[in-house]
Amino acid sequence: MKNEYIPYPAIIESVREEGPETETFRIVFEDEGMMEGFGYQPGQFVQVSLLGVGEAPISIASSPHHRGFIELTIRGMGKLTRAINRLESGDKIYIRGPYGNIFPFEGVKGRDMYFIAGGIGLAPLKSMIDLVLARREEFGRVVLLYGARTPSGLCFKEEIKVWRELEGMEVRLIADIPEGGWTGRTGVVTELWEEAEPWRGGVAYICGPPTMMKCVVEKLIRTGFNKEDIYLTLERQMKCGIGKCGHCSIGGKFVCIDGPVFSAAGANIEKWGR
Amino acid sequence: MREGCVVEVGFSEPVARYLCPVTVAAVADRGRQGWVHRSTIDDINMNNRILLKRNINELLARSAEAREVYLPLEGPGGDVQFLPLQEPKELDNLNLNYDQLIIPPKNIGFPQLESLFEFKDGEINPTVPVPSRHILFGLRACDLKGILFVDDFFRKNFEDIYYRHRTEGRLTVVVGCTSPSPNCFCTSTSTGPFIEDGFDLQLVDLGERYLVEVGSENGERFIGEFEELFLDASKDEIHHSGEVKVTAAKAVTLKVDFKEAIRRLTEDDVPREIYEEIAERCIYCGGCLYVCPTCTCFNLFDDMKEGEGARFRNWDGCVFEGYTREASGYNPRRDKCSRAARRYEHKLKYDYQETGISGCVGCGRCLTSCPVNIGISNFIEQLTGLDSKQ
Amino acid sequence: MKGVVCLVGKFEGERSVSRILTTCIYCGCGCGLYLDADQGRIIGSYPSGNHPVSRGALCVKGWNSYEFVNKLDRLTKPLIRRNGRLEESGWEEALDLVSRRLLEIGDRTGPDSLAFLSSAKTTNEENYLMMKLARAVFRANNIDHCARLCHASTVVGLKAAFGSGAMTNSIEEFEDADCFLVTGSDTTAQHPLIGSRIINAVRDRSAALIVADPRNIELVKYADIHLRQKNGTDVAWINGMMNVIIEEGLHASRYIEERTEGFAKLREVVKDYTPGYVEVITGIPAYLLVASARIYARSEKAMIIYSMGITQHVTGVDNVKSLANLAMLTGHVGFRSTGVNPLRGQNNVQGACDMGALPKVFTGYQSVGDKEVREKFEAVWGVKDLPAVPGLTVTEIFDRARKGDVRGLYIIGENPALSDPDSNRVRVALQQLDFLVVQDIFLSETAEYADVVLPAAGFAEKDGTFTNTERRVQRIRKAIDPPGEARADWEIISGVAERCGYKGMRYSSPSEIMDEIAELTPIYGGMRYDRLEPFGLQWPCPSRDHPGTPYLHKGTFARGKGQFMPAVYIAPDELPDQEYSFLLSTGRVYWHWHTGTMTRRTSTLDREVPEAYVELHPRDAERMQVIGGEEVRVSSRRGNIEIRVKITEKVKEGSVFIPFHFKEAAANILTNPAVDPTAKIPEYKVCAVKIEKMIKCGKVV
Ligand SMILES: Cc1cc2nc3c(=O)[nH]c(=O)nc-3n(C[C@H](O)[C@H](O)[C@H](O)COP(=O)(O)OP(=O)(O)OC[C@H]3O[C@@H](n4cnc5c(N)ncnc54)[C@H](O)[C@@H]3O)c2cc1C
Ligand code: SF4
Ligand code: FES
Repeated sequence: MKNEYIPYPAIIESVREEGPETETFRIVFEDEGMMEGFGYQPGQFVQVSLLGVGEAPISIASSPHHRGFIELTIRGMGKLTRAINRLESGDKIYIRGPYGNIFPFEGVKGRDMYFIAGGIGLAPLKSMIDLVLARREEFGRVVLLYGARTPSGLCFKEEIKVWRELEGMEVRLIADIPEGGWTGRTGVVTELWEEAEPWRGGVAYICGPPTMMKCVVEKLIRTGFNKEDIYLTLERQMKCGIGKCGHCSIGGKFVCIDGPVFSAAGANIEKWGR
Repeated sequence: MREGCVVEVGFSEPVARYLCPVTVAAVADRGRQGWVHRSTIDDINMNNRILLKRNINELLARSAEAREVYLPLEGPGGDVQFLPLQEPKELDNLNLNYDQLIIPPKNIGFPQLESLFEFKDGEINPTVPVPSRHILFGLRACDLKGILFVDDFFRKNFEDIYYRHRTEGRLTVVVGCTSPSPNCFCTSTSTGPFIEDGFDLQLVDLGERYLVEVGSENGERFIGEFEELFLDASKDEIHHSGEVKVTAAKAVTLKVDFKEAIRRLTEDDVPREIYEEIAERCIYCGGCLYVCPTCTCFNLFDDMKEGEGARFRNWDGCVFEGYTREASGYNPRRDKCSRAARRYEHKLKYDYQETGISGCVGCGRCLTSCPVNIGISNFIEQLTGLDSKQ
Repeated sequence: MKGVVCLVGKFEGERSVSRILTTCIYCGCGCGLYLDADQGRIIGSYPSGNHPVSRGALCVKGWNSYEFVNKLDRLTKPLIRRNGRLEESGWEEALDLVSRRLLEIGDRTGPDSLAFLSSAKTTNEENYLMMKLARAVFRANNIDHCARLCHASTVVGLKAAFGSGAMTNSIEEFEDADCFLVTGSDTTAQHPLIGSRIINAVRDRSAALIVADPRNIELVKYADIHLRQKNGTDVAWINGMMNVIIEEGLHASRYIEERTEGFAKLREVVKDYTPGYVEVITGIPAYLLVASARIYARSEKAMIIYSMGITQHVTGVDNVKSLANLAMLTGHVGFRSTGVNPLRGQNNVQGACDMGALPKVFTGYQSVGDKEVREKFEAVWGVKDLPAVPGLTVTEIFDRARKGDVRGLYIIGENPALSDPDSNRVRVALQQLDFLVVQDIFLSETAEYADVVLPAAGFAEKDGTFTNTERRVQRIRKAIDPPGEARADWEIISGVAERCGYKGMRYSSPSEIMDEIAELTPIYGGMRYDRLEPFGLQWPCPSRDHPGTPYLHKGTFARGKGQFMPAVYIAPDELPDQEYSFLLSTGRVYWHWHTGTMTRRTSTLDREVPEAYVELHPRDAERMQVIGGEEVRVSSRRGNIEIRVKITEKVKEGSVFIPFHFKEAAANILTNPAVDPTAKIPEYKVCAVKIEKMIKCGKVV
């Protein structure tokens, strides 16, 4: 029987700075077979450990069609995440997973894809965006609306640069507080919605701070989205990642195994925004 | 200033709908193997036996030769504890008429603190316990119900290997309760003082002797091992045991309307004031969750010195603010009221919705251990005494 | 990696769980709890069901008291400072060094240049030995401990009024009192199992509750009346209550006549404290004061409960005496569920005082100035010429150290670098010493200044007794072996004495030490280990067959007649002014214990309150334009700290509160070392501070 609590050693292959206290780590399991067999889908997360410091859930930001590594984008929020951010390539960390459910993919083919993210919330969506772009012809419009408190808080600047150049991808950015010569839009991410018109139905994937997600969902529903077509990834304090420790529970469900991807039809928006 | 009360997210439809096949399959093939030690009631020889009380010590001393035997032992000041028998002399302190153990026997499978693995210089070494044959002798019915509930919980989804190893090779011997504490309400939750199934053996106190009910093959085998200590039960004795059970049930004087409570929670028919009052009175000792036979929440933390250390887990729970606080500082259950509600909703609503069984086994410990007399029975009494929305 | 570290929960095949009854290490409630031990590690703690205090319940600290014991950063070997660094050494070498250096200093500059700080966290037996070490081996009376910083005023004040400086009732008796006057005690946070009894009494039996506290503490929710006095004006409102009681003829004339003396003088003094006048001083509305006086005086079983909000003032002793006056005036002392109850903070601060870890007294408060007493001790200890002049107090020890008069200091289980007022000055003093020995379970902030650090056994690793706040002397029991080479404090102290050439400190067990204590101490006369089963005995217990004393002063006061000692109101030493415009008081929070050496190593507790904060009233926050969570600089005339703001109506406008558990923002850098003239207790509860906004650049919120 597998011992789910044991993490596996992995090496940081490279580190890319994304913004203040935010870095993307490309990670390869020490064991080659382990790396080979590591199958995941967009939306899932891994539990990342530093021995002696702790463990935290981190979404996989890379797409499964890239084999041989995974990428994690981590913002220093506490003890562990700050410690990870001090690591350099060649350093060892420990990973277990993948855990959680995934964004619907097969079932939404042919439809317009809206990705709406706030801050570090782009990390889980990025995995999905990459996958969608890899099979671009199978989808309708692909739109990314992305906001952050400050311009420097916008992650994946490299990718965004590339995406903006792509034919079939629309990228709109916004920052709450303009700083450092920001020439883009100022405001919150919901304000980008009008720019994303014309709307002709589609599927939305949202990740960001709780209040942002609540506002976005409300906006989308007002626009006419089916609740079933709105997918969110929720954050909760997580410890085990496998439905045992109880920390992530919402009602009778666990975000770690029944989520983190939820449909707005399932989640009672009125109640979780608080 | 009162903080608002957040009642948690409810799901109108099963969330499973949104699970993609990939994950479902992954979940399915991860450790969903059988649970070997769990007794099944079907096709088991339900012969009743008799065990003379004067033979109990011999039975226990002899079974302790090949197994560990956990027993209710009376210690200093009359506190009764469920502990492994270390030497036969301790049998003098055996007390099968105790009213309640302070700590439910869930800690045998799920200790308050345990290490998951050790590490040194980056090398990880799991500290999974080795399974051992053991008997839980003198369990109360409610506590066995609790254990079975926790078994299910740790088994489902990703099976917990630590719990499994600690509980594998277990034999349960219930001694039906004839001396309930004033806080017990097991007749209202249908979890005692005697139970119908789930045990390996259940003893009914007939005065000089016990009637032994056999609930599983394991139980039958155990009796077989000590055949000479058991007698066959007569019709009279079986009849007598029925009377004892009725009398025992009558001795449980605290009664609550459990069904109605579940109905009202399930239908979100709970006046906010009840939670507010609890939240206000609660001093956040955590006692209720630590002593609850079905509470299983834990925290993980590391300890290390000079590159050498371990990862531990210890009991944790939903009354604590930091339990759900996220690293950003945002906390979905920041206000006390939602934390007060969480425990009752979990036991009386979500457990019921998810598994069909309520997590409350009527043991009354949350009242006993509460410095300010909150307790789920008081909650239910108060709730069902109030007007319903309907 | 077998045998490298023995960690919790690991067992091969056989389990060896044992459960040992012991006493909680945290507060003065002294709950009875069990520790589960497995493979030499503590894996759980649970309440005793029948213990008179815990009764199947504990507070969150008690429930989690298992965790810190196991921490890997426990001290496991003696450390000696070499070339400025603390390096591991053997016991022989460390003990030799300690005894040699202390003897040298004593010889060179006299016994008074040595000082000893005992600990309210260690056992009675160990406190006794520490005091014996100071007095018998080094002839120094410079021995004190943290009681100086919490209840010195009580020991002095109540002793003078009643003849005994302890809580007069038992914790169980709270269950049938019908009026509680709680002042300067955040009872639910600091003595949870007493606080909960008050809550239950109020909620379930409609007992009356009067809370006199500048802060809006938890108990205020249950109170009939909240008297929100200005910090440091306690004498005034207590006198005011007495004024009303006398004016309205509610005093217990017969009781006063028969059992007390000095009433005329009291009447004289409190005459001036009319409710109107008191309102001016304290800010308490006159009508509330009158109502409180009536409720308290008319109740049959009324208890006064107080703690550091009363004692930690320059008028600490006056405050205590005033409460004693109030109780005697209404005949509310000397009965079941009726009395004056100082709640002692530390688990064994009562015991440390009882054991004479104080500069003026031997065990059982027997004066060092009393020749007969000295002779009694000399005879049993086999020494001559015990010093008769009282020694220095904690605060004086650090003052003298700074001046170079105290040169050698031996500290057990205390962390003055964080816990003492104006801690910057304490640190200077520590640096100035010729020789500092620190004996502790962790490398504390104080230990970092030490020349020798001795690793001690924790409460789960040794036998002994603690005395809780209700004078209950109860056992702690060894559940596991100490980590590494750590040793029980009593063994270490004996070892030092032995090496100093003193032969009178050889014991085979703590029980033998207790026998010696019983022989020398009338109030502990009947305390023998065989009698302390299962849940201890309450002193006074003068003889082997005495059942112990649940409440004091029955029939007559310990000193004969109760002594009224009126006090007049004196303002605090340092009040807010133009520049330092906020009034700071300091204290604890429910989740943490003192300097956090244990609770901050306990995951559940540390997580709840992970960092320091300053409580600020919403109107002040608005005025200063600071938001919750923002970092500000708080400074006093003595130093400054950077700390996050928590906006709450718990504090009054113009007042702030900082818990002192956090070394990153140590409240005691700010506090005022001004002391009460007799008790020498520092004024932790009042000093003036200013608060400044800080702008931190580049910080992403
Ligand atoms: C499914 C999922 C996916 C995630 N994916 C990502 C990702 O891709 N990238 C990423 O950067 N993050 C991600 N997160 C968030 C990330 O897991 C947390 O930031 C991380 O757990 C923080 O752990 P830590 O050990 O650094 O913080 P800790 O030091 O453990 O701090 C966390 C705890 O400390 C306390 N705490 C810390 N700071 C504060 C504060 N300011 N105020 C109050 N309390 C505080 C709280 O108790 C909190 O629970 C994800 C979370 C989830 C649930
Ligand atoms: S109330 Fe005090 S003695 Fe009791 S468990 Fe809590 S800290 Fe320990
Ligand atoms: S993280 Fe442990 S249950 Fe979800």
